[in-house]
Amino acid sequence: CKKLDLAPTNNYTDLNYWTSADKANLVLNTDYNQMTDVTNVFYNEALSDNAYNGRGDAQGVNSISAGIYDPALGRLKSEWGYHYQGIKTTNVLLENIDLVPNMDAALKARMIAEARFLRAFHYFQLATWFGDVPYFTKNISIEESRTIARTPRAEVIANVLKELDEIETVLPVNKQYTSKDVGRISKGAVIALKARIQLYESNWAAVVTECEKLISKTDNGTYGLFPSYEGLFLPQNKNSVETILGRGFVPLDVTHGEFIDFVPLSIGGRVNAMAPTQELVDDYLMANGKTIREAGSGYDESNPYVNRDPRLGLTIVYDNYAWKKPDGTTATIKIKPGSNTLDEYKSGTSSSPTGYYIRKYYDPTSGSTFASGNDVMLIRYADVLLMYAEAKNELGQMTGSIWGTTVGAVRQRAGFTGAALNFNAAWSKTDMQNIIRRERRAEFAMEGLRIFDIRRWKIAQTVLNGTVHGAKFGDSGVDNGYIIAGKRSFDPTKHYLWPVPRDERGLNPNLSQNPGWN
Amino acid sequence: SRVFCAMRKDHYTQKPDNKGSGHLHVKFTFIILFGCLLQIYAKGLSQTVTLSENKASLESVFKKIKKQTGYGFVYTNYVLQKANPVTVHISNASIEETMELCLKDQPLTYSITNKMISISEKKPSVEAPLKTMELATTITAPPIAIAGKVVDENGAAVQGASVVVKGTTIGVSTNEVGEFKVNVPDNKAILVISSVSFETLEVPVGNQTVLRIPMRKSQEKIEEVVVVGYGTQRKVSVTGGVDVVKTQALQGRPNVNVTQALQGTAPSLIVQQKSFEPGQGANINIRGVGTLGNNDPLVVIDGIIGGDLNLLNPNDIESISILKDAGTAAIYGSRSANGVILVTTKKGSKSDKGTVTYNGIVSAVHPHIWPKAVPGYENMILKNEAIINANTGQVPTYTPAEIQAQKDRGDYEWFLDEILKDAIQQNHNLSISGGKDKSTYMISAGYMDQQSNFVGPKKGLRRYNFRMNLSNEVGKLKFTTILAYTHTDINDHSFNTGTLIVDAERTPKYYQQKDSLGRYLTNDVLTEFNPLGILEKGGYRQYDNDNIFGSINADLEIFKGLHLKGIFGANLTMNHQYYKTDYVPFYPKGQYGNIAGSSTGDANDKNLYTNPQLLLEYSKSLGQHRITAMAGVTNESYTGKSNKVGYKYASPDLGLQIDTTKASLDMNSLATTPQTTTENSLNSFIGRLSYSFADKYFAEFNFREDGSSKFAKDHRWGFFPSISGAWRLGMEDFYAASDIKNYINDVKIRASYGSLGNQNVSNYQWQTTYFTFANAYGFNNNVVTGAGFNTANPDLRWEVAQTFNIGADLTFFKGKLTGSFDYFHKLTKDILMRPPLPGTFGGGQVDFNVASVKNRGWEVSLNYNTSGRIFRHSINFNIGDTHNEIVKMADGKPQINGLEELQVIYAEGLPIASYVGYKRDGYFQNLNDIKNKPKFSGLDVVPGDISYKDKNGDGVIDDQDRFVLGNPFPRYTFGFNYTLGWKGFDLGIFIQGVGKRDFAIRGELVEPFHVNYSYVMFEHQLDYWRPDNINAKYPRLAVGGSASNTNNYRKGSDLYIFDGAYARLKNVQLGYSLPSNVARKIGMQKCRAYLTGQNLLTVTKNSFIDPESTEFDNKLNAGNGANSGRLYPTSVYYGFGLDLIF
Repeated sequence: CKKLDLAPTNNYTDLNYWTSADKANLVLNTDYNQMTDVTNVFYNEALSDNAYNGRGDAQGVNSISAGIYDPALGRLKSEWGYHYQGIKTTNVLLENIDLVPNMDAALKARMIAEARFLRAFHYFQLATWFGDVPYFTKNISIEESRTIARTPRAEVIANVLKELDEIETVLPVNKQYTSKDVGRISKGAVIALKARIQLYESNWAAVVTECEKLISKTDNGTYGLFPSYEGLFLPQNKNSVETILGRGFVPLDVTHGEFIDFVPLSIGGRVNAMAPTQELVDDYLMANGKTIREAGSGYDESNPYVNRDPRLGLTIVYDNYAWKKPDGTTATIKIKPGSNTLDEYKSGTSSSPTGYYIRKYYDPTSGSTFASGNDVMLIRYADVLLMYAEAKNELGQMTGSIWGTTVGAVRQRAGFTGAALNFNAAWSKTDMQNIIRRERRAEFAMEGLRIFDIRRWKIAQTVLNGTVHGAKFGDSGVDNGYIIAGKRSFDPTKHYLWPVPRDERGLNPNLSQNPGWN
Repeated sequence: SRVFCAMRKDHYTQKPDNKGSGHLHVKFTFIILFGCLLQIYAKGLSQTVTLSENKASLESVFKKIKKQTGYGFVYTNYVLQKANPVTVHISNASIEETMELCLKDQPLTYSITNKMISISEKKPSVEAPLKTMELATTITAPPIAIAGKVVDENGAAVQGASVVVKGTTIGVSTNEVGEFKVNVPDNKAILVISSVSFETLEVPVGNQTVLRIPMRKSQEKIEEVVVVGYGTQRKVSVTGGVDVVKTQALQGRPNVNVTQALQGTAPSLIVQQKSFEPGQGANINIRGVGTLGNNDPLVVIDGIIGGDLNLLNPNDIESISILKDAGTAAIYGSRSANGVILVTTKKGSKSDKGTVTYNGIVSAVHPHIWPKAVPGYENMILKNEAIINANTGQVPTYTPAEIQAQKDRGDYEWFLDEILKDAIQQNHNLSISGGKDKSTYMISAGYMDQQSNFVGPKKGLRRYNFRMNLSNEVGKLKFTTILAYTHTDINDHSFNTGTLIVDAERTPKYYQQKDSLGRYLTNDVLTEFNPLGILEKGGYRQYDNDNIFGSINADLEIFKGLHLKGIFGANLTMNHQYYKTDYVPFYPKGQYGNIAGSSTGDANDKNLYTNPQLLLEYSKSLGQHRITAMAGVTNESYTGKSNKVGYKYASPDLGLQIDTTKASLDMNSLATTPQTTTENSLNSFIGRLSYSFADKYFAEFNFREDGSSKFAKDHRWGFFPSISGAWRLGMEDFYAASDIKNYINDVKIRASYGSLGNQNVSNYQWQTTYFTFANAYGFNNNVVTGAGFNTANPDLRWEVAQTFNIGADLTFFKGKLTGSFDYFHKLTKDILMRPPLPGTFGGGQVDFNVASVKNRGWEVSLNYNTSGRIFRHSINFNIGDTHNEIVKMADGKPQINGLEELQVIYAEGLPIASYVGYKRDGYFQNLNDIKNKPKFSGLDVVPGDISYKDKNGDGVIDDQDRFVLGNPFPRYTFGFNYTLGWKGFDLGIFIQGVGKRDFAIRGELVEPFHVNYSYVMFEHQLDYWRPDNINAKYPRLAVGGSASNTNNYRKGSDLYIFDGAYARLKNVQLGYSLPSNVARKIGMQKCRAYLTGQNLLTVTKNSFIDPESTEFDNKLNAGNGANSGRLYPTSVYYGFGLDLIF
């Protein structure tokens, strides 16, 4: 016979858990684990005009981009729940860490700040998608979760910024972390996140203030552009000088595996679930810095991938692409119909619906399963530079010098030479706005940022409506022969905010709904 | 008598016993020879005869026989005068053989009744004067001659009845007109008249010399006994709802396990076979789903709680009692809210001199594949149509030339057909049972081999059962010892069955699975691997599981009527799994497993369950009053431990880590004991008091007080009492005098009320627990561990079901028809459930006491048995219905949660887990409809798209227009069993089904080209909307991602709710038994051979899915959403069986 007071042997309880800093730290590790869902980071690209999800409805991106979703869409519920899960982990940690006896005060302060950063990051993302969301900083009960109402978006953002201000001074700069802690939230990450939040709020002066804390000085962290654009996305260069905030992975043990559905099928891709669009390809500059439609660009529609922005070939796989294999050899990717390969374009099949595949972030060490241990950068220094450029331009303060340290530096690192690097004083503010926006698109393509830019620029009704095109393998009589891969639809009266998920409202009747949804 | 076992049995007859007891005073040992032979050595009086006589008088021979065997002789001098001298040389012959030889050339014949051998003329004459001759040992006194006639209740002569003068060996038997003459010593003599199937009668002679003696047909004197919690009860005194399933109901069917066998045998016993794959169990449920969590009934095997029905050998079962109401189940207190299944295994019988039984069935198992794919070229045309209809500008996939070429080439074998084959299933069982005065034994061995229908290396389940049930009496102490051992081997493939099935199902017939070079092919649907390659080359999972079930039950009779019982039961399960996933390359691309090597691993688990019980029982009869009382204490303790280890990159042949630099531990597949140990414990006090008067009035009180480790201290103890009573109206004098008695021969009315509990929740939930998990995150390539937490619910407490049951048992037509009727009402309060939680909470699910649910239902069970001159009919029909309704949600608010396309609601006034969605209202047939009929905002519909009912009439379809569409609970579940006997032949037909069910089905079986994952159209989907088919069953074709597809298939409507009523011809048996005299000649008591068929025919409205498959998970948790039908196919059996008893 056993006693009835059985304490678990396989788990800890409140009575014996909060007894050491190490155990408390395990909860913080969970908080990091829940920082961001990189699958969403990647697939979010197909919410924008950069890519198209042609098979299945991965992460709901097909339904959302087609404008045929409603509050029942699973992605909405999972996005909502994911962030509140992370928020709970922070709240549990913060409510219990004081129970740990004899804890080093500095370590405790740092851990609290890291956890608060992660919570703020979640609230920022929630407010970006859903607008008003319930905001709380304690471990709420189930009953509270069934009654809590939404906090206005502006208040959520203000709270998030206030939190970040408070922890900015607590956290060490990136170089202060020892090797095993590299990748933890640093002071620089706090500043960069504030810059991004202010950017999304179009608070240009504040963007400038935050960016200037990071550009050309090291008090708040040591950052710079990694010399090679290609190398930046390879696992051997993780935590490079360019990383400000990243989601950490480890080969074999902590991995992510989206690329099995991105790479060419002949390389071992399972199906193609996301493919770059012709619209993105067209937006890459010519090597001479001109757009393809500009006079004197030298663009040849029958040979469209030559003399282009070097980042095009490091990001997108096109017909006759020389795929660099892990062993150093190359494979030629044949996509054009009639080439009789696995990658060949054929409507309604598992090959790419646009005639393009993705290369950027492909991990050559990930083997046949494509389970990659490479980190995924969430904020990198190039972003700080381009945020700064954009804010300065919006404030009417763009100069040749600022151009040189921002857009120019980014282009130079990308491999541009000559005219493409030059500043033209004749450019209007709008010209410069277009240039910076295009630069952001090319620099950050396939990094999941484009949809947020589209939403804050309020250009969705223009770029997210109508036909999605692919390479020129289609019926020559339709759209000039460019593949029609699908249709997008965006209703500006309701689609700028996602609806509160139907199930959330079913379980908590106090949750109101965004305009245009029910 | 050439068969040794049988011959022994013949020789093993009883010695005369003046006490009239049937006990044997023989000690025996036994050995098993060649697995079937039983040898018995008898001591004392021999049951055989050895004689060596030359021309001896018959009378002297009789004396010798009497001396050797104790048998007495009855004959007249007149008869003996006709006898010739006897010459006989025999050794160890039976009485019968001896008598045959002695009377071989005599004009005499003999008969044996009650150890008395009567000798008469072969052509007897009633006119002849009868004289009784006494044997040497009998008394010689002035006799009184008595003449008489023995008749039955109708006055007909009883022939061959034995008439013995009590206390002497004087006796005669009646002649063919029932007459006898006997001399008795004096007028105090008493005649004992006995005959088979009549009640033995004692008649004092007194002063009469001519007697007419009427005999009464004997009633079944052995009272039927029903197994109830912690004891047995006479069937007449049962006051609650108990169904007894007799072992006959389970026989002759190729059932793999007991759960399967129980299907359809009792009303409201719902068995759903989720999958027919070897090793998969079935869902079992009693009287519907009363709770929101685990609805499994409590299983009690031979008095020990917590056994596994699926590990039992169906042939070992003596009876199964199903306790349904508070009156019977409350003795199991906190465990009984879902009902209790009490299984009793066979024991030997003291009067059985040794029986050897063999049962065997060999069946061919044919996989029945429900959906049918259209021909390949047709599939291409339909896919093109779906792409064009999507209206996204995409061009059709297939050119006319490609379609023509496919049509010309013809189809390949459909993948689903290709990965399934016919298989063989065998069940063999051998048992030996018997007993004598102080002990009984039952020893059995069973073997079950269920092959899988999947192709590739041999897969399937093999189960070996051994059982030894012994009872021994030592003075006032009676021991019952049970030891059962079950070994199960399961060979499985290395993948996931649902995925294999769905992958194969979704591939059109224009693809080939394996080419002429033996390469496994991938295609546009299965781009990585195909099921055939995985099944044939992908490795395996091997399980070898051991289970030991043992109990010792000691019963001490302290004084008459007072028993002290100590019971210790233990159930030890030790399971081991070894897996090996091998690399399989596919062409032109794709792979299964890892080219770097195989993954291998072991997992072991060990679970010990102990159940000690101490019970005190007292029973007393005073006149017509009967009282029984029982009180006891019990404990149940459970400990589970497991460990596992896994390697990556092992050698594919032996699974060894040859290249140690390459082989590496798989960190995700490691676990040691501290991480896996779970424990729980339950202490209980139980009691029962029952009273009856004159077998007419019955009353019973039961209680159980349980304390469980699953709840916090303050909520730990629960008290579960019940009262019940019955009135046997049929025994009342006024009833006996009434005319109704002639039609309804007996009536018993019973009622019960009580509370039952449920604690089916996970351990430790009242405390917040923290667990660690490996590989949580990486800082600069350094892996770190994470910790998660399970939110506590310290308020967790017992779920209590208050159950009322009223029922009646009736007997009609002189016992030919019996019927039971029950109505019940169950109110379950504080139902334990893992409610859907708002995402905002951020934590995982926790059990809560969330609602009150009302269950109402009724049951009817009818049995009809009749034996005519030629045919014997037996009909059993049972039907039951249960309906549940949530009467209160703890916080008063409904909870609604999406599951796939549909939503599931928990709300007051609705059944648990009701489906919520839109209701269809035809189609948009034309542009006018599109303009005028309500639509979803933002979705552009076209003719052929589904139009939905606008519930609130506001002109748009939105959340406000959702209806409650149904719920997954089967209603009107029924079983029908008919057996027909004719001479040696028997025919059995068993039909089982469900009268009403909302069957939620989704996936590719409903939606053509399901979300572009499926590439196949099925034949049943061809009735889709076209301009020439506007009243179609399904809407127009359009691939996923289009507005049409979203409107038609993503919105969650009654399109996904199907009519799940069905009737299934579950089993047909045609058997032939050899006549007993023929069987005896070849040494058997019984020899039956039969053909059997299972699942031969199903009547259902849905041709594409097995109606028995279910939305419920294996814990019968509701609210799992729709069934995708991605199932191992239904098994259809054609078998041959043998039942032999020696």
